[in-house]
Amino acid sequence: MKKLLAIVLALVMALGMFSAFADDAAWDGVYMDEDDFKAYIAYDLDVVFDAISGQLGEENLAKVEAAVEEGKAAIDAAATVAEVEAAYDAAYAAVLACVPTADGLYTYKKLPDAERTNILGILEKYAVTTGITGMSLYENGAYQMINPRITLGTENYITGYGFGTLAEGAITEDLEYETNPDWARYYHICETSDPGTLNAPNDQGSQVGDMYSYIQAVFFTNFMNETKDGYDWVPELAKEKPVAVNDEDGDGMATTWRWEVRTGETDGLVYTTGSQLESRQAFNGRPVALEDYEFGFKLLLTQANQFYRGSEFATTKTGAVVGAKDYYNATENGYDDEAWEKVGLKTYVEDGKNYFEITFTEEQTRFYAMYYGQMYFYQPIPQEFVELVTVKNYLGFNEDTTESPVDNSLSVGPYYVERYDSDQQVVYKKNPNYVFADTKYAIPGIHDKIFPAAATDKNATFNEFLAGHFDVCRIPDEYLNEYRNDPRTHTTKGNSVFKLNVNASNAETWEYLFGTDGVVTQTAKEAYWELKPCMGNHHFVQALSYSINRSELAVAKGRVPSVDYLSSNYMSDPENGMSYDATEAHQNAVTGLLEDTDGYGYSLELARDYFRLALTELEAEGAYAPGTAEAPTEIHFEIAWMYPTDEEDYHNQIKNYIETAFNDESVSGGAYKLVVDYWVGNTWSDVYYNKLMLGQYDLGFGSISGNSLDPIGFVSVLSSDQDISGNFTLNWGVDTNDPDAYPIVYNDLRWSFDALYNAVNSQVIASNGQNKAQLTFKYTPIAKNEDGTYTGSFTVASTLPDITSIEIADIECCNYERYYNGDGTYAEAPVEFTVDDQGAGLLVVTFTVPAELAEDYATGSGTSAEPKGDTGFDLYYNLTFNGVTQSGLYYSVTDNFEVPEAAEAPAEAEEAPAETEEAPAETETAA
Amino acid sequence: MGKYVLKRVLLAFCTAFIILSLTFILVKLLPFDRPIGGDQQQIAYFDKQYNLGYVYRIKLVKDAPVVEEYNAKYGEYLYRSPVDRGSCFYYYKVPVMEQYVSWLKNVVTKWDWGYSKSYQPNVAASVIIMNRIWYSMRLNIISVIFSVPLGLLLGIWAALKKNTLTDHTISTMVMIFISVPSFVLICFVLRIFAYDLGWLPSTWPADTATTWTKIKGYIIPVFCLSFSSVCYYCRYTRAELCEVMESDYLLLARTKGLTRRQAIVRHALKNAMVPIFPSILSEFIGILGGSMILENLYGIPGIGKLFILSLNYKDYDILFVDMAIFTTISLLAGVVVDLSYGFIDPRIRMGAKK
Repeated sequence: MKKLLAIVLALVMALGMFSAFADDAAWDGVYMDEDDFKAYIAYDLDVVFDAISGQLGEENLAKVEAAVEEGKAAIDAAATVAEVEAAYDAAYAAVLACVPTADGLYTYKKLPDAERTNILGILEKYAVTTGITGMSLYENGAYQMINPRITLGTENYITGYGFGTLAEGAITEDLEYETNPDWARYYHICETSDPGTLNAPNDQGSQVGDMYSYIQAVFFTNFMNETKDGYDWVPELAKEKPVAVNDEDGDGMATTWRWEVRTGETDGLVYTTGSQLESRQAFNGRPVALEDYEFGFKLLLTQANQFYRGSEFATTKTGAVVGAKDYYNATENGYDDEAWEKVGLKTYVEDGKNYFEITFTEEQTRFYAMYYGQMYFYQPIPQEFVELVTVKNYLGFNEDTTESPVDNSLSVGPYYVERYDSDQQVVYKKNPNYVFADTKYAIPGIHDKIFPAAATDKNATFNEFLAGHFDVCRIPDEYLNEYRNDPRTHTTKGNSVFKLNVNASNAETWEYLFGTDGVVTQTAKEAYWELKPCMGNHHFVQALSYSINRSELAVAKGRVPSVDYLSSNYMSDPENGMSYDATEAHQNAVTGLLEDTDGYGYSLELARDYFRLALTELEAEGAYAPGTAEAPTEIHFEIAWMYPTDEEDYHNQIKNYIETAFNDESVSGGAYKLVVDYWVGNTWSDVYYNKLMLGQYDLGFGSISGNSLDPIGFVSVLSSDQDISGNFTLNWGVDTNDPDAYPIVYNDLRWSFDALYNAVNSQVIASNGQNKAQLTFKYTPIAKNEDGTYTGSFTVASTLPDITSIEIADIECCNYERYYNGDGTYAEAPVEFTVDDQGAGLLVVTFTVPAELAEDYATGSGTSAEPKGDTGFDLYYNLTFNGVTQSGLYYSVTDNFEVPEAAEAPAEAEEAPAETEEAPAETETAA
Repeated sequence: MGKYVLKRVLLAFCTAFIILSLTFILVKLLPFDRPIGGDQQQIAYFDKQYNLGYVYRIKLVKDAPVVEEYNAKYGEYLYRSPVDRGSCFYYYKVPVMEQYVSWLKNVVTKWDWGYSKSYQPNVAASVIIMNRIWYSMRLNIISVIFSVPLGLLLGIWAALKKNTLTDHTISTMVMIFISVPSFVLICFVLRIFAYDLGWLPSTWPADTATTWTKIKGYIIPVFCLSFSSVCYYCRYTRAELCEVMESDYLLLARTKGLTRRQAIVRHALKNAMVPIFPSILSEFIGILGGSMILENLYGIPGIGKLFILSLNYKDYDILFVDMAIFTTISLLAGVVVDLSYGFIDPRIRMGAKK
């Protein structure tokens, strides 16, 4: 019996061993054993589940749980790397199938701040998980030294506000170094260069804006709160917070807002100038008139004045003002009072009170009405003053420099310009006529020295500070240890997180975005970027992120390590000064990044594990073939940097982190060697404009700062849709309008990033979870009939036909080129059309062009012998969407008539229109 | 002689013309500097360039075949604005030679050197230069006044004490200091006298500073500017004087009964100055040039610093005026030095016929 038992046991053991051997033999992952590999892939499913479970209803939650469990079981049962990957893909698809996609019209703009913050958290979680935020390194907060003669408004830095140095602070001792006794108690700071102007409305950078802000007052400003731990919004030029004019449904949102403003007549508000010129002195103490408020905007928005910020203000999509764009477009030759009448910026007197009224294109809450009404580049100004100094010289020097910004500026802000000595100093003196002159801005002036040495020598400002010449400076890296605990040292929070942006595009995506006919930019074949397969592997990028010791890197540079996308400056509740960093939504978003790390996303073990995982996958895909220990396969990728000094400052250290993690024997046994290369441009912006924005990089250093009071608006730059991101996308590889790329669930519905972004910022028309346009147009090219007429058609489809109605107003045939190139007439003619309503929101509009007109237009702007260009067809329509009607909309296409046979046109020219005839057939554009 | 002078001046003028033309053309051949920002910024920037005459602006139907014609005519467009009503603006670079002709025409006929575009927007480039040139001139005149006598004295002293400890000390110090790059010296002097001891201003005092501060403000830049000149003159004078003092005619003078002092003052110094004097003249003319490094480090608002700023700002109109000044100064210095030989040394008669 025992013998029999022993034989059975032996058989069982042999079978078990065979089975185990058979399992091992099937597993084809070289760098990671089967259990670990499966565990990591199963963990990815958990991450998906964590990302969406909080927003699922009970029923869908149960379905998703079941799909995840099934998926894990399938992963466990898989025998090869490919099978595991396939099991994951199947499970992922099953999870997606459990949650219905958003379809219809949604807007979450009116939700309370707390709920909108939750949505921001969901968007952030999506972004950090998919890697479209890049790899955050550090926040640009710094250790700052402040002269002890300054009493700060608060010793603790207030996020989004600062120390309150000027507004709430004071200076209690003279600066010994200052030889002018009148300036001894001025706040002494420096600029690295002289901008030569204070004309912030016509400047792109931040330097002039910062300098201009000393003499500027805005409708609403911020002052520190009583408890000195935040700030309040306070009417400055306004006398009250915004009041809704057309909040008909009582939801607190309106398109038109107004507020009472201060004027000289009612409140004694006057202009101040430091100019000694007689002509300017006439404006010293001149009362601010109500029309000055309107003229300030007119000055900005008139295209002929060529103010950078004017064009920006006219075309902005967020906080856009009714009619601003049209006015801008209509004022190429100067002010246009008739066009101004249609702009949503008005002043009027009612019941003896002076009002300023603003009409936005979209409904705004009171806070956003106040926020957009803050107008960083605006202040009231008398028209006669601008006419006196001329638009060209306003806030700057005149041609022979006999007039400086002292003479060509008027102040209603806390300071006015006292002196402007080119390349030497700009001095501001306290404005006694400022609204809060008695209670705020106790510091009597600002001395802004032009100090070019600071641009090339990072210790120059520090030396000046230590010598007692300046009141504030940043501590250079090499002095951090010595001065970190100095009583004069204060820490500030940053306004931007610097990152290594990732190009995770595959060949297909890159071609679509940046290829010869790319939607972002067009690249010649010979300039195509050589994509690295490893950068497209999500686990490889995760490994890179885990390998960087942010804490060590940032602390050595006097920065604040960060894994966040948004800096701590961003507010979830800007009205009450609550930082987004401190919210639960944010904590949830980044938890996954920090698990099992040092608290800043660094873990050498995880980095190596993920490198093993990535190599296993990449080899299974056939992307790389292993080498030998003697001749390893080299994997190269490049990091693009801003400054030449970045090689020493950052690159070598980061290269060392990454190569140390990857090239360890335990990762690939020497079969692979990772080499991190280096690139830098001529100027700091090259990395953005020549690399990141053109997809010509693997990893690229850079950062974008947005408005810290509007973090939900700022995440627009994460979108791969250039209309949403405003061409500021820096990370590529994920289609953010694809709800299947990675799940976003809100309110038990599945969304694409773009769709949810639009829903929370304004409204979205969602179809299958994607962000869609209200209408889509398809043009069928014109075809010549026997009688010489031409027939073409537009097919117009509504995304949401139930709430959409379209009225076709007109179809115009336009000869754009003839108008613009030559004879000064606008060759436009209406044509006959018929509308066929096919139901379900589908309209087919067929038009016919008379033979004579076709013949006339056939040559474009040229002649029969030498035809040039195309003819345009404009479909004018009125759209009623969700009860709101918009008139005068149009959709344009270009097409060509056949050039009459009699013409002796050159062969080349004749051929050209034929090529373009085909193009519109494929034209399907969203309006 | 008059003909020779005229010939040299005309040649200098031609050289200046060639240098400036080449500078303009080469600078304009640089890749077009696109602005930072989205479409609004791009449009605003290109519209300004259009108004300045540096780009063409053409409104066309997007991607119409006619675009190819313009591309063929003007090269690939620099920027295309977003499409509005089916058409958009295409911006093309105006051919460099056309820009050059306009620029030249403005300079010759109207003495209009253009306007600053970014450094001091709308201010005439020539005005910007004129406002700054005096800072460079003042500084350099003082520097020459200080360095020439000192360099000559040290050189004479070293020559008179040839092969003594004094000579060796002076010569060694001169060799050491002549080898020190100027920016090292500036930083060194700043570190000690401005930051550590706090005796002197660490940056150029503003126009509003007190007279005493302004005087102190000259010490560091004058010292730094003079340093290499002092060493140069000292070395040169010593060498020339030593050579003259060993010459036969000086021995003859001594044997005729002149004292050493008389021989040196009346004969040796006079002859040693023949090659030295033109270099003093050249130095004196060069004072207009300023010093780019010193002006930048010490924050002196002169034309040397302006040259660097205009490069950084890509403000080419200022750059061209600055370049014109530097070129003119260099060429004039050359002409004056050549002519001065004739006045100093009667043996040299330029342009004279046999």
